[in-house]
Amino acid sequence: MPSEQELQIQISPIVQESLVHNSRTLYNLQSITASLFGVSAGILGLESYAGFVFYVALSLLTSVLFYVLRVAPTSLASGKSPLDTSRYFRGAYDFWAGGLMNGFAGFVLTWTLFYGLVTA
Amino acid sequence: MTLLSKTITAFGSLLLAHACYSAREHTALQSLRTATAATLTSSTTVATSLPVDIIIETIISTFIILLGLVLGTRPLRPLEWRVWAGKIEREGEEGFTDNAGAVDKDYMGNPFSVFESRPNFVDIRKQRKEFAAWVQNGGGQQGQ
Repeated sequence: MPSEQELQIQISPIVQESLVHNSRTLYNLQSITASLFGVSAGILGLESYAGFVFYVALSLLTSVLFYVLRVAPTSLASGKSPLDTSRYFRGAYDFWAGGLMNGFAGFVLTWTLFYGLVTA
Repeated sequence: MTLLSKTITAFGSLLLAHACYSAREHTALQSLRTATAATLTSSTTVATSLPVDIIIETIISTFIILLGLVLGTRPLRPLEWRVWAGKIEREGEEGFTDNAGAVDKDYMGNPFSVFESRPNFVDIRKQRKEFAAWVQNGGGQQGQ
């Protein structure tokens, strides 16, 4: 007996190229913005928990901004409910919180670099 | 669209570079002041936090760059096959362009084109007649 999700994929199949294209677009944005947030955190001279809170907040803001500017105009027009990203992405968790993992290394790298540059 | 996002990103980067330079100068000045104050009066009551205008400039420039980067992302494609194929049927190549207006390299065209041209129903005798007429009219002469 196939599971609910398998049945859903059988009924409405998905396009793999679109999935790869959308994921790569989001991943590129998250990587580059994480580096940018590291630069800002370093200039501001944030330390320990303040820097991580800064990163988490701005990363979530990036997701929201990406949703509002890129996903929402066509997603809402096609009858999806607000904050529903299933037109372009599989899994809401990956969309909203995926940036926390993807860009973390880049964030710490530029954070320490610019902290050292500014305050040394 | 792409010009707009690039302009916004460049403007934000300029602001961020200025904020970074200001913060660097501020800390350099602070360390100099503490050094001279230590030699003169041995008092260490010097504020070490950044001025408010540099903080505001940094945060605002971060938001500006973020807006520019999000505006510069490539348009997304629908996941479900029926939505995607419907978009191709309705919009064709225009639905699959990047920000600069060029058609994406991996745009394949109509996924149902295999149903719309059927080799089994080609009239091969008619094509043979046409080919014979073409040969009789000297169509093959240019090779000699």
